[in-house]
Amino acid sequence: MISVTPKALSADAHKLDLTKLTSEQTALDIKGLNLHYGKKQALQDITMSIPKGQVTAFIGPSGCGKSTLLRCINRMNDLVDGCHISGEINLHGENIYGKHVDIASLRRKVGMVFQRPNPFPKSIYENVVYGLRIAGENNRRVLDDAVEKSLRSAALWNEVKDRLHESALGLSGGQQQRLVIARAVAIEPEVLLLDEPTSALDPISTLTIEELINDLKKQFTVVIVTHNMQQAARVSDQTAFMYMGDLIEYNDTNTLFTTPMKKQTEDYITGRYG
Amino acid sequence: MTSVARSSNTRKIKNSLAKWLITLGGISVLFTLVLIFMYLLYVIKPIFESVSIEPDMSIALRTDSKVLSTGVDELKEVAFQITSSGNIEFFSLLEDEQAPAGKLLLSERLIDTTDSLKLVEDAGQDKKLLLTEQGQVFVVTPQFTAQYDNDSRKIIPSITYPIINSSIQVDEHAQNFTQLAFAMDEEKAVFVGFTQDKRLIKTSLISEDEFGEEDGEFETIFQEIDYLAHHIDDIAISPDLTMVFVRNESHVSVFSLDDDDIVEEKAQINVDFSNRPDAKLTAMALLSGGSSVLLGDNQGQVSQWFEVSTEQGRQFQQIRTFDAGNEAIASINTEQFRKSFYTLTDTGNMGVFFTTSEAELWQGNIAKKHPTAFAISPRSDAIAIAMYDEQKSSTILELFNVHNEHPEVTWQALWQEVWYEGYPEPDYIWQSTSGSDDFEAKFSLVPISFGTIKAALYAMLFAVPIALTAAIYTAYFMTPGLRKKVKPTIELMEALPTVILGFLAGLWLAPIMEKYLPAIFLLFLFLPLATILTAFVWHNLSRDLKEKIPETLAPIILIPVLIGAAYLAFTLSPLFESAFFGGDMRQYITNDLGINFDQRNALVVGIAMGFAVIPTIFSMAEDAIFSVPSHLTSGSLALGATQWQTLIKVVLLTASPGIFSAIMMGLGRAVGETMIVLMATGNTPILDWSIFQGMRTLAANIAVEMPESEVGSSHYRILFLAAFVLFVFTFIFNTMAEFVRQRLRDKYSSM
Repeated sequence: MISVTPKALSADAHKLDLTKLTSEQTALDIKGLNLHYGKKQALQDITMSIPKGQVTAFIGPSGCGKSTLLRCINRMNDLVDGCHISGEINLHGENIYGKHVDIASLRRKVGMVFQRPNPFPKSIYENVVYGLRIAGENNRRVLDDAVEKSLRSAALWNEVKDRLHESALGLSGGQQQRLVIARAVAIEPEVLLLDEPTSALDPISTLTIEELINDLKKQFTVVIVTHNMQQAARVSDQTAFMYMGDLIEYNDTNTLFTTPMKKQTEDYITGRYG
Repeated sequence: MTSVARSSNTRKIKNSLAKWLITLGGISVLFTLVLIFMYLLYVIKPIFESVSIEPDMSIALRTDSKVLSTGVDELKEVAFQITSSGNIEFFSLLEDEQAPAGKLLLSERLIDTTDSLKLVEDAGQDKKLLLTEQGQVFVVTPQFTAQYDNDSRKIIPSITYPIINSSIQVDEHAQNFTQLAFAMDEEKAVFVGFTQDKRLIKTSLISEDEFGEEDGEFETIFQEIDYLAHHIDDIAISPDLTMVFVRNESHVSVFSLDDDDIVEEKAQINVDFSNRPDAKLTAMALLSGGSSVLLGDNQGQVSQWFEVSTEQGRQFQQIRTFDAGNEAIASINTEQFRKSFYTLTDTGNMGVFFTTSEAELWQGNIAKKHPTAFAISPRSDAIAIAMYDEQKSSTILELFNVHNEHPEVTWQALWQEVWYEGYPEPDYIWQSTSGSDDFEAKFSLVPISFGTIKAALYAMLFAVPIALTAAIYTAYFMTPGLRKKVKPTIELMEALPTVILGFLAGLWLAPIMEKYLPAIFLLFLFLPLATILTAFVWHNLSRDLKEKIPETLAPIILIPVLIGAAYLAFTLSPLFESAFFGGDMRQYITNDLGINFDQRNALVVGIAMGFAVIPTIFSMAEDAIFSVPSHLTSGSLALGATQWQTLIKVVLLTASPGIFSAIMMGLGRAVGETMIVLMATGNTPILDWSIFQGMRTLAANIAVEMPESEVGSSHYRILFLAAFVLFVFTFIFNTMAEFVRQRLRDKYSSM
């Protein structure tokens, strides 16, 4: 069992006032976001600011809308039939639900890693350069450099450098998930969304990924959805607790886990439900 | 026993029962397949069996003189011999309790008592031409009539005279002959002979009614042929009475008998002996049907010659040669109905050959010396030879069973070009039956195998693009609601009986396509154009207008557009035709482009069979594309790929094993499809890729010809061989498909 070490005890986090972030400190600014699947409302009036260069975790019981909220950030919900969204999400002050937004270029700025490792049935190399290739990059040297850089930042380089041109499907689950992270990192996004990235992995691989997340926040703003509160406590700087489509409480991780302000939060983190 | 133990026992029994049933099922499927395979092989096997000739019986008969001719009846129960003293004797070949084989059944004198026979020649259809030492000429037919009494069959021999039962005057000057040949049809009989005073003469007997009628009156015309020679070795008249071949050592002249007034030399056949200066001709015979002449030489070579159309008119050409050993060929005997021939040497060596398939069937020794008489039984299943022993003044008649049922079928004849009689060059031909009796069946599997591939290819050309694009659209772009309706509808098309498709294609589509040919080609242009145009207009439509149309109905807008485009194509067709093709595209294709046009052609088959294949390909490909895991598509989209990029780079790649399978299944279906090709191809077994020509496929060929083939005949067995080839075709396609699919799946399968 991995021990829970609340962040505040190990690090001297300079606390941010999440309600009063300057525009320079803000990566994402969500305002009055409502989402309906047909007649069912999945997100209710979510307003929050996600700071730049930090790890923000969304926690909550199954079906609380945390993944839905995450998928709103790169507009993956657009693919779902009957999904209707109102409100704003501002990325650097620009509403991603605005009229003239190109979804493809938005997704290049907001990368995403899914719950299950999903490498394409191609070689390791081709997986990593996929995002670059579809953006029209074909220069061999650029691609080679990107592969090494991304695989290094995903802590996978040493394991795969001798078999870059073998099928990615031959990798283990944890390696595949790191490959997918490398693939997302290769296009150098500003925000990286991780949707329960370790839920399909064994504890050792989970640990590797968690260490990786710590490194990644030096380059990217990371938003992670997790079921595992201990993981949220270990890796995140801010945590948002959601319940039934509502944002119940949003605070720095230490405060949220040690002195929650809402009863629902406390009930959840103490394991009374969920 | 506790209930737990009991239930575990029951479970055990159920388990083993299920295991046995499943194993049994699997094995019986395999067993059935193997059985079908074995049965096909069992039926096919005899056509590739080698010929065997085995001694059957040997009968010693007392004869007063040398036997000049022999023969047996169809059932090999009665044999006859004609001796040089002029007697014909029939005797039984059956052994029974009362007597051994060889019981004399009938003996008759054919000529005057003071005379003796000089020459007996076969004259076709069992007729024998007799020439006596005194120069008398008779034509007789030994006949066998079956009589049934007390449930037993008895063969009654008799002698008939097809022209007249007395001597026929052949030479105007009543000279005796050194060589004489004879052939006749119902109204005319022709003799060609070389007299002792060295004249070559032709004598025609023309009957007022038919020969063999009661009055038996006929008119005789004597003619002399302009020909100078000291002697003549062979004379042969073609059975249709149009040609006579005369051999004088190595010189062979061909005279035309077409003109009743004058006999002219139409050709000379000169065997090329430049490589073999010592060679000379020693034997000549006409092949069954009389179009080919066989020439044997003293070095054991036999060459086949027939007339071939060339730029200089019809000319005799050497078609092929056969090697019958090193000895001089003493005689060549031909079968009555097939293109086989038997060579004999003076040392009793025999060779059996089949001309068309160039098959050397058998070679071996059957006697110590050249037999005095040689006969092939009417069914070609036996040969009889007579050997005369002068010291004992007895004749030994030996019968050999010949197993040679399918000499015309060889691997070469089936798959390589064969030069058939009357054809200008070797060719691949499938023509199993015809109206005429002396027709030779032509069994080349090449045109029908080609037809199978051609039909399947055109069908795939039509079906694959439509089926795959439809599958991609349905699986990847269509809203789930509409997909739920569209997919079963297309799959329902698969249940449409192909006989209906074939019927429609042959009787409705083919005439329409012939009439509106330009429209068909315009359709191939207009339909995609109209689709793209509609998509363009839709793209630029204002958002408000688009939102008023429910998403499910959006694709339906295309339907009226496509109907409009088709209507336009058909309306423009006559205009187009008069503007570019001089008013009639069909005529233009035939006359100006020089391409043959069949109404039932590859285009019709491609469309009709394509239509039958589309549901198969669509259904499987759609499943494959639809089952590409959504986390792969999302993964691609999340990396900033557009829908198209995701489709091409991830979805199609991942679905490729399934798509490949779908195409191969479609191909398999197109290869094996019967009813559509049967009704819409015209069934012409030709080798031509042209889209305007028909074809005949293996499957249709079997369906068309199976009812009319005689059980056990070469034709019947070759149809089984065609079935076997079809089986192998589909087997190869499926194995290849499975192999490639496995490879692809190992490479691209998703988790």
